[in-house]
Amino acid sequence: MIEVESIRKIFRGGRGLDAFSLRLERNELVGLVGPNGAGKSTLIKILSTLLSADSGVARVAGREVRADPRGVRASVGYLPDMVGVYQDMRIREFLEFFADAFCLKEPARSAAIERALARSGLANRTDDFVEHLSLGWKQRLLLAKTLLHDPKVLLLDEPATGLDPLARIALREQLKQLHAEGVAILISSHILTDLEDICTRIVFIADGKNVSEPPSAIDAAGVLGPAVRCEITYEGSADAVEKVVKDSPGARTLENKDGWLVIELPGEKKEASAFLQLLLAAGVFITHFETRGPDLEERYRRTFGGRSV
Amino acid sequence: MKRLVTNPMILKELQQRLRERRAWLLPTLYLLVLAGTVSFAYYASTDPVMAGGPREVQGADIGMAIFLTVIFTQIVVLLLMAPVFSAASLTIEKEQRTLAGLLTSLLTAPQIWWGKFVAALLYLLLLLCSALPLLAISFAFGGVEPMELLKATGSTILVLASICAIGLWCSAIFRRSVHSTAACYGIVLVLSVVTAVAFGILVSHWQSSEYLARGEGPPAYIQAPLFLNPLYPLLSLLDTGEIGKFSYPVSSWLLFTALGCLAAAFAMRSIQRSGEQL
Repeated sequence: MIEVESIRKIFRGGRGLDAFSLRLERNELVGLVGPNGAGKSTLIKILSTLLSADSGVARVAGREVRADPRGVRASVGYLPDMVGVYQDMRIREFLEFFADAFCLKEPARSAAIERALARSGLANRTDDFVEHLSLGWKQRLLLAKTLLHDPKVLLLDEPATGLDPLARIALREQLKQLHAEGVAILISSHILTDLEDICTRIVFIADGKNVSEPPSAIDAAGVLGPAVRCEITYEGSADAVEKVVKDSPGARTLENKDGWLVIELPGEKKEASAFLQLLLAAGVFITHFETRGPDLEERYRRTFGGRSV
Repeated sequence: MKRLVTNPMILKELQQRLRERRAWLLPTLYLLVLAGTVSFAYYASTDPVMAGGPREVQGADIGMAIFLTVIFTQIVVLLLMAPVFSAASLTIEKEQRTLAGLLTSLLTAPQIWWGKFVAALLYLLLLLCSALPLLAISFAFGGVEPMELLKATGSTILVLASICAIGLWCSAIFRRSVHSTAACYGIVLVLSVVTAVAFGILVSHWQSSEYLARGEGPPAYIQAPLFLNPLYPLLSLLDTGEIGKFSYPVSSWLLFTALGCLAAAFAMRSIQRSGEQL
């Protein structure tokens, strides 16, 4: 649904995009993550036709952004980072205006407006002025407006900025629902826990370039490779557990307290299973064992830890 | 073409504009000012002291005095109001961060421009129309032809349309309403005052008893700076030989039309590129 090939955009101030590439398939919900000034908003603005790239190719829903901006706009829903609404319009008027701006004809127009009202939860407040809504409700209205023309691709630039926890939860649920309905979503955000909850994939960006994630652990041969995190609840001697950890090459204890052990092992689930067998063989009574990859916060730290903000 | 008439921007703009407090406050003030000038024109033309001595007052003189006072007052007042309605109309979208929504919709830059332009001009036309009853007083006294009223109104609309187009251009290139409005007032000032000063300088250097002897005004090249003066079309249309010899209204109309078209083209180009400002 989105294809970006070696796209470049240089601003007078310097920052922008530098040979950035991205591919996003239908049914994907991709999180775009990077430090401030990495080029996330620039990329989203280029894809939504607000900015033009200096070079490279960007396609959305099969249409070239530069050659067919109107076609792209018909397939894309763009939600900017700051809530921009007409405060002096009524909720229904606001949606009617954008339905007309997207050239919706009756009966599709009325159906789209009713659907947007239902989706935003504002069906019983249609005559209220937009200025009377809280920030969370305005964001819901804006998202509903963005979806009026049934876009195939949704581009969201920091959509959770300024929202309270409940509004963020509601937004996450809406995005999950849209993803389930088959809408391809590209979302940029600094709220990593939210992205971790909803995204099917994370793309890292810094200084306008693609950033690949560094491998996360050193294996027995001293080579960087993938790592698995094990969270274990046990009963018995902590010393016995520590001995097993010491005997496992590359294993690193992150926490071992009151029967709660968190370790990182080089390898994947197979290595985690071998470690569990070692614990059992050492006579440790295991009540809970769970394996996880490193969380997004950890991945972010590893990827961007050395960069200044 | 149909989209130009059924443009959703027009409805939105009018809806928002008529909800503002100034929607009723400005017409009220405008009519009060005009009513004051009508009263002044009436007393000035009937009072023997103000008229420069006792004389027989003709109804036609009173009619013409009221007519001239009203049309010149209204163009001056509307010239002061036009930047307020046009020069902030795109910057306000930037300030309240709604421009991105317009630019990523299926509205084209010409449609956005047209919607803003029509809404600004329609409001000024509303003011212009609201003054028609006051102008009609001059008909009661006689001395004014309906054609003169039509010419004066048409000319005023053309000048206001050009100023609105210039205001929208300022609005498209600036980010803040205060800057675009100031720039538009600056342009109006240049057109109104600087052209008059330039004309005055040229006239002071122009010495030709030949023209004066024939009862003609200054030649076209001397009057040229005034062609861009918003008052010139009215002066030239109503030139009866008493208030001057300004006889090139068509040149002035063409210049204002060209100015408006240029401003419109630049504004649409700027709207298309305004994603860079977001």
